[in-house]
Amino acid sequence: MNSMSLRKKRFHKGLRGWLSALPFILPGLILVTVFIIYPMLFTIRISLSDYRIVTGDITYIGLTNFKNVLFETKEFWYAYRNNFLYAIVTVPLIIFGGLLFSYLVNNLKHGQSIFKVGFYLPVITSWVIVSLVFKYMFGNSNTGMLNYLLVDVFHILDDYVPWLYREWTGNGAIWVMGIWKNMGWAMLIFLAALQSIPKDLYESASIDGAGIWAKFRYITISAVKPTIYFVMVNMIIGSFNVFIQVMLLTSGNPNGTTSVLQYLLYNRAFSKFEFGEASAIGLISAVTIILLTVLLNKIFLLDEKESGV
Amino acid sequence: MKRVFLVITVLALSVFGFVACNESTTVDSNATTTEEQITITFWHTYGDSEEAVLLDTVLPLWNAAHPNITVNAVRQDGSQYHEMIVTSFATGNGPDVARLDISNIASYAEQGGLVALDTYDDFATLAENYIDGPLSTSLYKGSYYALPLDTNCKAAVINMNLLESELGLTEVPATMEEFINAAASRGTYSLSVSGVGDWDLYPYFWLFGGSLTNDSFTQATGYLDSQDSIDAINEMLTLHSQNIFTIRDIDGTADAWAGIQDTFVMFFEGPWYSFSEDIVAAPIPTYEGRSASVVGGEDVAVFATSQYQDAAYEFAKFLTSEEVQLAMLQVGQLPILKSLVDNETVLSNPTWAVYMEQLESAQARIPSPNNDEIKTIWSNAMTDIFLNGADVATTLSNAATAIDAELE
Repeated sequence: MNSMSLRKKRFHKGLRGWLSALPFILPGLILVTVFIIYPMLFTIRISLSDYRIVTGDITYIGLTNFKNVLFETKEFWYAYRNNFLYAIVTVPLIIFGGLLFSYLVNNLKHGQSIFKVGFYLPVITSWVIVSLVFKYMFGNSNTGMLNYLLVDVFHILDDYVPWLYREWTGNGAIWVMGIWKNMGWAMLIFLAALQSIPKDLYESASIDGAGIWAKFRYITISAVKPTIYFVMVNMIIGSFNVFIQVMLLTSGNPNGTTSVLQYLLYNRAFSKFEFGEASAIGLISAVTIILLTVLLNKIFLLDEKESGV
Repeated sequence: MKRVFLVITVLALSVFGFVACNESTTVDSNATTTEEQITITFWHTYGDSEEAVLLDTVLPLWNAAHPNITVNAVRQDGSQYHEMIVTSFATGNGPDVARLDISNIASYAEQGGLVALDTYDDFATLAENYIDGPLSTSLYKGSYYALPLDTNCKAAVINMNLLESELGLTEVPATMEEFINAAASRGTYSLSVSGVGDWDLYPYFWLFGGSLTNDSFTQATGYLDSQDSIDAINEMLTLHSQNIFTIRDIDGTADAWAGIQDTFVMFFEGPWYSFSEDIVAAPIPTYEGRSASVVGGEDVAVFATSQYQDAAYEFAKFLTSEEVQLAMLQVGQLPILKSLVDNETVLSNPTWAVYMEQLESAQARIPSPNNDEIKTIWSNAMTDIFLNGADVATTLSNAATAIDAELE
C-alpha cells in the first residue's frame, strides 16, 4: 500500500512536471512535427510511390524509384561522385586556409577587424550573386575574365576554353567557389579557438626553446583539434547540400558530369515531375550524411582517446 | 490553477491554429455570374515592351468589354517560371490563366494541371481561326489544353557587312551550299550556334536532311538513326572541322548575339533579335532545295485549380482575338490567326514578313509530356558526338531507342 501511494505520488509529481514544461515545449514541438517530422515521413512515403502532384494521388510502387535512380542512368553516380569529390577537394583546403589565415590574423597587432570582415564578406554574400560573378569569370570567349586574361592579355592559351561546359573545369569552378565562399567561416571559427588558447602556454614553450613551427604543431594544432573536427563535420555535411552554384554555373553540363545530388533532386522533381525519384535521391543523401557523420565521429573519438585530448 | 489555465490556453491556440491552417475554401469552380465582380490572375513572362502593350492597350480593351471581370496581370521571372508553375500545382496558389511555353503544355496536361478547352461548346469554331501548327502545340491525347497565343520560329540573322567583306557576297545567299562555298576559305567561323540543345540544333539537323520521328511522333528508331540523319550530323561535323560552323558551348567561342556584330556572318534566331540596317533577318538558306526551322511560341491555358475557369477561358479567347494579336504584333509577337497571315501590317514589316515566310518550313519539336527527358537525350547525344567524338551511328541509334521509351 505504501509502495502504491509512493508510486502514485511520483506519477503525480511527474505529471505536474510535464504539465509545467508543456506550455514551453508544445509550440516548438508542433512546429517541428508539422515542418520537419511530417515532411520527412511524407518524403519516405513518396519515395516508395508514384506521386501525382496536382491530383495528390499516391500509388505505392515499392522500390521502383530507388531502382530507377540507381540503375537506369549514369546521372546519379556522377552526382554522387561529385558530392564526394567536392568534399575531398574543398574541405581540406577550407580547413587549411581557414587555419592559416586565422593564425596570421590572430598574430596581427593592428587591423584584425578589417581582415576579419574581409575574409567573412564572401560568407554573407548571396550565393546567387557570387555564382553570377563566377559565371562571368569563367564565361566563354573574351567575355569571360579568365579567358580574356589567359588568351588576350597573357597569351598563355591559344584558344578560348568553355570552362563551364567541360567536366573537370566545370567541377573546378564549383570547387573554387565553394572554397572561396566558405573559408571565411572556417577562419572565424578557428580564430575564436585560437584566442581561447592561454598565452602562457606559448611563453612556457618559448622558455623551453620551442620555435614557431614547434609551437604551432604542439600547442596550436592540439588546442584547435576539436574545432577542426567541428569544421570538418560541418563542411562535409555542407558538401552534400551543394546546389545553387551547380544550378547557376553548369546546370550539370556536360551530360550530368558536373551535377550533384541536390541538383539532380531538383531536376527530377521540377523538370521531370518525378517526385518519387526526387524523394529517393533525398533519402539516399540523408542516409549518406548520417553514415558519414557516424563514421567521422567514431574516427575522431578514437583519435581523442589515443592522443588523450 | 494558473498552470492548468495556461496549458488549456496553449492547447486551444494550437488546435485553433491547425483548424485555421486546414480550413479550405470550397468554391464552385464555375460559380461566376455576369453580375458578379470577380478578379482573375494572369501569369506571364512578357518583357518590358510586351508588358507595356498588355497593360496600356490590351487590358483596357478587356476592361471595357468585361467590366465585371478584373484581370490581375502578374509578370513572373522567366528563369524560374516552370518551377513556380509546378509548385503552384501542388499548393493550389497558381493563376487562373497563364501564358505558357508550348513545349510544356503536354507535361502540364499530363499532370492534370490544365483544363481541356475543347470541352467548351465554341471551341471547335474557335479552333478553325488558328494556324494549324501553333494550334497543334496544345494537343495532348486527343484534347486541346490551351489556345495558341503567339508563335515564332528561327530565321537567319545575317551581318551584311561581313557577308560582303569576308565572304564576298553582296546579297543574302539563297542556298546553304553557296554560303558554305563562300565561307570555306575564310579560315574562321562564319556560322554560329549557342549550344547542343533541341532549339539550337534541330534547325541545322533538319536542314541537312535529318529527321527525329515519324509524322505521328510515336517512333524515333528508323528516323533519328536513319542514314539521312547520320549524314546530317556528319555534315555538321564536317562544317565544324572546316572552321565554318561553331558551337559556342563546345568551342568556347563568342555568344552569337555578340559575335554577329564583328565575327560571325550568320546565325539562326527568333524575331526578338534587335535587327538593324547592317544586321538583317532573312529566310534560312536552303540545303539541297529544302529549308527548315523550329517552331517556338507560347500558348495560353486555363488552370485546373482556378475558381473561375469560365472567366479565365473568356480571357484566353480574348487574347487570341484579332485586335489583341495586332496590338501584340507591334512588339514582335507573331500572330496565330489564319486571318492575319496575309495581313498588310504583317507583310509591310520586312522582319515579320521573313518570319511568317519561314514558319511555312518550320517544324514542331516532339510534343510529349516527357519533352524534358527527350531534350536531355538529344543534348547528351550531341555532346557525346561534338565534344567527346562519339561514333555518330551508334550514338544516334542509342538516342533513338531511348526516345522510343519516352514516347511509349
